[in-house]
Amino acid sequence: MESRRERFERIAPGLIEPVRRYLARRTDPTTAEDVLAETLLVCWRRVEELPEEPLPFVYGVARLCLRNAERSARRQERVAARVAAIDPPAEAAPGPEERDEEVAAALAALRAADAELLRLWAWEQLAPAEIATVLGITPNAASIRLHRARGKLAERLRKDAAASGHEESREGRRP
Amino acid sequence: MTDDQRDVEQDVLRARLRAADPASSLPPADPERAARLLEDVMSTELTTENRATGTRGRGPLTWLVAAAAVLIIAGVGIFAVVGHDDGPAAPPTAVDDQSVTELSAPSPTAYAAKCMVPSAETLAQQSVAFDGTVTTLADGAVTLSVGHWYAGGPTDLVRVQAPEEELQDLVGAVKFEQGGRYLVSATNGRVTVCGFSAPYSADLAALYDQAFG
Repeated sequence: MESRRERFERIAPGLIEPVRRYLARRTDPTTAEDVLAETLLVCWRRVEELPEEPLPFVYGVARLCLRNAERSARRQERVAARVAAIDPPAEAAPGPEERDEEVAAALAALRAADAELLRLWAWEQLAPAEIATVLGITPNAASIRLHRARGKLAERLRKDAAASGHEESREGRRP
Repeated sequence: MTDDQRDVEQDVLRARLRAADPASSLPPADPERAARLLEDVMSTELTTENRATGTRGRGPLTWLVAAAAVLIIAGVGIFAVVGHDDGPAAPPTAVDDQSVTELSAPSPTAYAAKCMVPSAETLAQQSVAFDGTVTTLADGAVTLSVGHWYAGGPTDLVRVQAPEEELQDLVGAVKFEQGGRYLVSATNGRVTVCGFSAPYSADLAALYDQAFG
């Protein structure tokens, strides 16, 4: 029987990189670092509960930790605005030059919940059942919502493509 | 649409989304920092908890500190209420077998503050309000015999005590005179001025009735 420590030492190193990326995609670097530590802490405390495929579960933990951090960040925002002199948080990690701006814009235009499903699917590369674990919903619901979200994104991309095919008179087109 | 077509479409969509992944350029974590982070995490077990673990694992010292904090808070609370003799919850003290509510004068800044027209709404917020007659006006205190309590009390007497200067200000503001009948209100143990506490008048009494009726 492995000890708590042995189990954590076996699992945790494999969590750091994916969770770092998960957070880098969703928040600023400073918050990401804090929430990464917080997430690992929760995993350490609940190491017995970690499933053998821990990632979806751990993404779920990171999601809640991030939400907590953002909640308290909002509380501090007004104060922070007054003390705006200190270094402003950097933008979420900038993408490579060849980043697909159209799809990024289309993603940003979706409802937050839809966009998050698509991110988990494409960026974290999770299957619907795993997405369900992260979001705390049933696999069935995850599957259906993901299907709809994909449909909405594809629809928006088609519209944008059609719009760019014409004159740039359509709304929402960037130069 | 066939399943194959759908799969292809999904793959294309996923590939496009992946190209928009902001973390694709994120360099891997420094292994040394990662190792240190894990070490830090594993060394924090006994001092932290979450909803799942609840209060299990809290050291006895934590409880001791918490208990001490509760005592201090309670102590401060009791001091605030009893020590200053000014809270509406202050236990009446007996003088000559008569119960007394102790009040103090408003802070000197109250006189400088702009007054709003007394309204029932504002008056209703006062924790102490009564209709009383000044029995003594001496020894750094104004004592009133209460005819009717609108709020707070009830005690037989109300004694307003304050340092000489503050009391003079108050007596001047409310025009306390021996034997006079007054409507007096107070909040946080301090008599309110600005027209809320004044010699008895039918108009003001109506306002008191409205506020506390």
